[in-house]
Amino acid sequence: MFRNYLKTAMRNLLRNKLFSFINIAGLAIGLAAFILITLFVRDEFSWDRHWSGADDIYRMEMTYTQPGQVDRKSPNAVDPLKDIFLNTFPEVEAVSRYLEFDVGLRQGDAMYGQRILFADHNFLDFFNVRFVEGSREAVFSDLGGAVISQRTAEKYFGTASALGKSLTLHLPNGDRDFYVAGVVENPKRDSVIQHDFLVPFNRDYFTGMRWFTEDWRFAARTSFVRFAPGTNVDAIRAAMPDLVERHMPKGTDSTETGTSWSVDVDLVKLGDVHLYGNGANGDAGVLYGFLGIAFLILLIAVVNFLNLSMARTAHRAREVAVRKVLGAARGHVIQQFLAESVLLGLVALLIALAMVELALPYYNAFLSTVLELNLMSEPVVALLLLVLGIGVGLSAGSLQALYFAMLKPRDVLYSSTSADNGTGRLRQVLVVTQFAISAGLMIIAFFVNQQTQFARALDLGFNPDNLLVVARTNNDQGDTFKRRLLASPYITAIGRSSDVPTQGSEDRMQVRPITGDDTVTIDGLPSGPDFFRVYQIPLLAGRYLEDMPADITRARGEEGEYRRSSNIIINALAAKRLGFESPQAAIGQLVAANLTRDLRVDTTIVGVVADFHFDSARDVIRPGIYYTDEYRQSDMTVRYDPANKAAALDVLNETWRATYPDSILEYTSMEDMVERQYQTDARLGEMLTMFTLLAVTISAMGLYGLASFTAERRTKEIGIRKVLGARLRDIVGLFLWQFSKPILLANLIAWPVAFFFLDDWLDGFAYRIDLSLLPFVGAACAALAIGWLTVAGRAYVVARTNPINALRHE
Amino acid sequence: MLKLHNLSKVYRTDEVETAALNSVNIEIESGEFVAIMGPSGCGKSTLLNIVGMLDTPSSGDYVFMGENVARYSEAKLSNIRKQNIGFIFQSFNLIDELSVEENIELALLYHNIPASERRARVERVMDKVGIAHRAKHMPSQLSGGQQQRVAVARAVVGDQAMILADEPTGNLDSAHGQEVMEMLQALNEEGTTIVMVTHSPAHADYARRTINLFDGHVVTENLRAAV
Ligand SMILES: Nc1ncnc2c1ncn2[C@@H]1O[C@H](COP(=O)(O)OP(=O)(O)O)[C@@H](O)[C@H]1O
Ligand SMILES: [Mg+2]
Repeated sequence: MFRNYLKTAMRNLLRNKLFSFINIAGLAIGLAAFILITLFVRDEFSWDRHWSGADDIYRMEMTYTQPGQVDRKSPNAVDPLKDIFLNTFPEVEAVSRYLEFDVGLRQGDAMYGQRILFADHNFLDFFNVRFVEGSREAVFSDLGGAVISQRTAEKYFGTASALGKSLTLHLPNGDRDFYVAGVVENPKRDSVIQHDFLVPFNRDYFTGMRWFTEDWRFAARTSFVRFAPGTNVDAIRAAMPDLVERHMPKGTDSTETGTSWSVDVDLVKLGDVHLYGNGANGDAGVLYGFLGIAFLILLIAVVNFLNLSMARTAHRAREVAVRKVLGAARGHVIQQFLAESVLLGLVALLIALAMVELALPYYNAFLSTVLELNLMSEPVVALLLLVLGIGVGLSAGSLQALYFAMLKPRDVLYSSTSADNGTGRLRQVLVVTQFAISAGLMIIAFFVNQQTQFARALDLGFNPDNLLVVARTNNDQGDTFKRRLLASPYITAIGRSSDVPTQGSEDRMQVRPITGDDTVTIDGLPSGPDFFRVYQIPLLAGRYLEDMPADITRARGEEGEYRRSSNIIINALAAKRLGFESPQAAIGQLVAANLTRDLRVDTTIVGVVADFHFDSARDVIRPGIYYTDEYRQSDMTVRYDPANKAAALDVLNETWRATYPDSILEYTSMEDMVERQYQTDARLGEMLTMFTLLAVTISAMGLYGLASFTAERRTKEIGIRKVLGARLRDIVGLFLWQFSKPILLANLIAWPVAFFFLDDWLDGFAYRIDLSLLPFVGAACAALAIGWLTVAGRAYVVARTNPINALRHE
Repeated sequence: MLKLHNLSKVYRTDEVETAALNSVNIEIESGEFVAIMGPSGCGKSTLLNIVGMLDTPSSGDYVFMGENVARYSEAKLSNIRKQNIGFIFQSFNLIDELSVEENIELALLYHNIPASERRARVERVMDKVGIAHRAKHMPSQLSGGQQQRVAVARAVVGDQAMILADEPTGNLDSAHGQEVMEMLQALNEEGTTIVMVTHSPAHADYARRTINLFDGHVVTENLRAAV
C-alpha cells in the first residue's frame, strides 16, 4: 500500500517540478531558519547547565536600595552571608565564593594583565573542576599554589608542563609569587564562571580593605550556594528580608551600616544567571521575540505548502475519486496524503540540515558565537528535529488530506476538465496570512534599524571621537602621569572623573531649590577640573572648574575630609530643576547639597554646562552636579590628535611604563564604549532584517507558484478574452490586480499589529523615533512590488500565448 | 441482486431543487445485463451512482443483496461497494501517474490481498482483456480503446459480482466501442451482472433488458429475447 502511495507521490512530484521545488525549498528554508534561530536561543538558555548538580546551585545576589536613589544591583554578595547561610539553613550543603580581580602578572621581564579569582578553598570541589595536571587533593592546602586553566598554561608556558612553575602577581598589597599547583580544563564558553586563574583566598592580601572582607557596603564576593536536592528555595528566598534584618549591623555610622539604606538578597539558579541574574548579559525578552519569529517563518513556509497543495487539489481529485470508487475509505485517503506530506517534510528537513551546516560558519561569525549542530552526539535533538519534520509535514498536508477525505467521487468522475473546486477563498486567506506576516516583519525590521541609526546619530552632548579612557590612575602617581602625557604634542587634553559617559552615575544628591521647595534629586559626578574640556562639553554660563582650592570639594592629602564649602558646576537641566530662570541666573548662587544623608556641603554654582548624555543613550538625560573629588578620579580620559594617533599611543605606552613600571596599561576607546551601547539593538536589527528577507523570499516563492497555477488554470479564459479583443496589457493588468488585492489586505492587517508592537518597543527608549506612516506605506509598496515582479513574468507568458493553442486544448 | 423501491433523489443547490430521480422502482436479477437509456439530464448517471453507492437516495429504499442500504453510512457503503461493484466510466478515469498494471492493481490494494496474489490476479485479468503487452505503459501512452480495456480489467479484477458502466463507449470510435461491448458481453456470460448507461441503441442491444428514463421517471422497460 505504502509503495503505491510512494509511487504516486514521487511521480506527482516529478511531474510538477516547479510546485515540488517551491514546496520543498520553501519548507527547507523555513525549517533552516527555524533551526538556526532555535540553536541560538537554546544556546542562550543553556548557559551553565553543564556543572554537576547545577539545579541545586544558586548565586547569591544583592540589590542595595535607598530612598531617593536608584537601586544598585550587584551580581555578588557580601562576605558575612556565607556563614549566615551555613548557620541558618540546614539545607545548605556548601557555599563557595570567589573575588574577581584584574591584576598585573609578571613572568620574567614581561608584564601581562590577568583576571584572577581569589577562590574559597572548596571551589574546585564545589564545581567539580576536572584536573589535567596535578590533583585536587594536592592544591589549595598551600596558599602559594595557583590553579590555572589549560589555555592559561599555554599562554604562559607554551607546550611545556606548567606544574611547579612560578609567576608573580601584583596584588593590592604588593607583589606575591605563586607556583602553579594544578592545571584544570578550560572553562566552558557558555559559563559565567571563567576559572582561568585561581588563587586561594587569603585575608592578608586585603588588610586595611574591610569592604572586601567584612562590611555590608560592598558586595564583592561572587557567592554560590548548593542546597540539598529537593530544597524549597522559595521558602528560603522568603526568609531573606528577615535574615538581613537580623544580621545587617545598624550602627550610627551610616556609611558602613544600614541605617539609611537596605539590601535585598536574591538567589538565582546557576543556569538562570546568564539571562536573569544581576548584570545579566543576555536578554530573555529578545530571545522569546526571536522564537516568535522562528515560528512565524515556519508558519509562512507551511502556509506556502498548504496553499500550493490546495491550488493543486484539482489535479489529484480524479486520483482520489478513483481510489474511493475502488474502495479507499476516508482513513486511507487521509493516511495517503499525510504520509506524502510527511515524506516531503522529512526531505525538506534533510535539505534544511544541509543548509544549516553550510550557513553555520557565517551565522556564528555574525553572532560572534560558536553554535554547532551535532546530531550524532545529541540524540534528543535529532529526535526533536525528526518530530519537527513530521509535525511540519503533518500540518502542511492536513488541509489537503481533509479536503480529499471529504471529496465526493461523483463530483469529479463525470467531467474531463476540472473546475475551480471551491478552495479559492481559502487560498486567498492563506496568501493574506503569508503577506501579513512578511509585511509586518518588514515594517518592524525597518523601524528597529531606524531607531538604531537614530540613536547612533543622537547628539550625545559631548565629542566621543579620539578619546581613550585609561584605568588605574587613581593614586599618588596620577598627577605625574597626567603631566607627563600633556607634555606630548600628540595629547591635546586630559580630564579625570570617577566614571565616564555611557556608564551613568550612581550618586544621587538631594539639593534644595532656591524657591525653598522640597529637595530635588540630582546626579552627582565626582570629576576633575578639566573633565569638561576633554569631553568638549560647551559652557552655557559662568566658567569651568579650575585647579584651585576653592574649586575642590575634597583634596588629596586632607585625610579624606570633604570641605564645608566649594564651587561646583551643574548642567542646564539641574539649573531648571533648582528653579533658575536661565543658566545665567544660576551663576554665583549658593545651594546646599547633601552629598550623602549626613554630609552637607555649601556649594556655589560657578558654571552651567549644556546637557550631555552620561547614562546610556537609551535613558533620558538627568540633572547633574559636577564637583572635584580628588579621591574619586579612577578614570583618566585622554584626547589625542587624530592625525598622530599611532604616535599618541606610543607616548601613552611609554609614559605608562615610566610612571607605573609594575602594572599593565589598560584603556578603552570612548567610541567603542558608545558603540557598545547600540550593539544589542543593532544586532537585533540585523537579525530581523535577515529573517525578514527569508520570510519574504518564501512568500514570494509561494506567490510565484500560485501565479503559475492560476495561469495554467485560466489559459482558456484568457484565450477567450483575447479572441474578444483584450490586449496584452489588459491581461497582464488583470493578473496583477488579482494578486494585488490579497497583498493590500495583508498590509492592512499587518499595520496595526506592527504599530502596537513597535510603539511598545520604542517606549523603552527615552529618545525614540516617531512612527510615521510612510514606512508602512513603503512596506505595502515593497510587498506589492515583490508580488508584481513575481507574478508579472508568468502573466506575460500567458498573455502572449496564441489563444488558438489554448482553446484547441479543450 | 438489487431492488429500488420508490426511490427519489433531489439535488438542492442555493435556490433550485432538481428532482433527478422520482419514485423509481427497479429490480435487477443476478446475472442480468441491463441497459439504461434516456435523454441527457434525465437522471441516468444519478441512478447509476446510487446503485453503485457513490451517492445516497433522498428517499425510498435500496435493497442490495437482501440488505436495505439506503441509509448506510459512507464507510459502510464503501465496504460493500469494494466487495461487489466495479465501475467503468466514459472518461476512463485511469490514474496518470500509475502504469497499466498498477492501475489495475489499485482495485486490490484496499482488499488486504497479499502482493503475490495481487500480481497473479492482475496478470490473469490483463490477459483476459488483451492488454498484457502494455503492462508497463502509462495511460497517456495508450489509445482510448486500450485505456477503456484497462478500466474494464480494473473493474473486474476483484471478482466483483456487478459492473456499472456509465457510457463506456461514449469516448470511443465504433470499432473500439464494439470491442468493449464484446468484453462486457463475455463477462456477463461468465455470470457478472452488468448495468450500463448508453446512448447507442446498437450497444443497448447487447443487453437483455433496456430501462428508459425520462425526467427522473422510468417510462418503459423492454425485455429482449436472449441473443
Ligand atoms: N451534484 C449535482 N447537483 C445538482 N444537480 C445535479 C447534480 N448532479 C446532477 N444534477 C442534476 O440532476 C439531473 C440528472 O443528472 P444526471 O443523472 O447526471 O443525468 P444524465 O446522466 O442522465 O445526463 C440533471 O438535471 C442534473 O443537472
Ligand atoms: Mg450522465
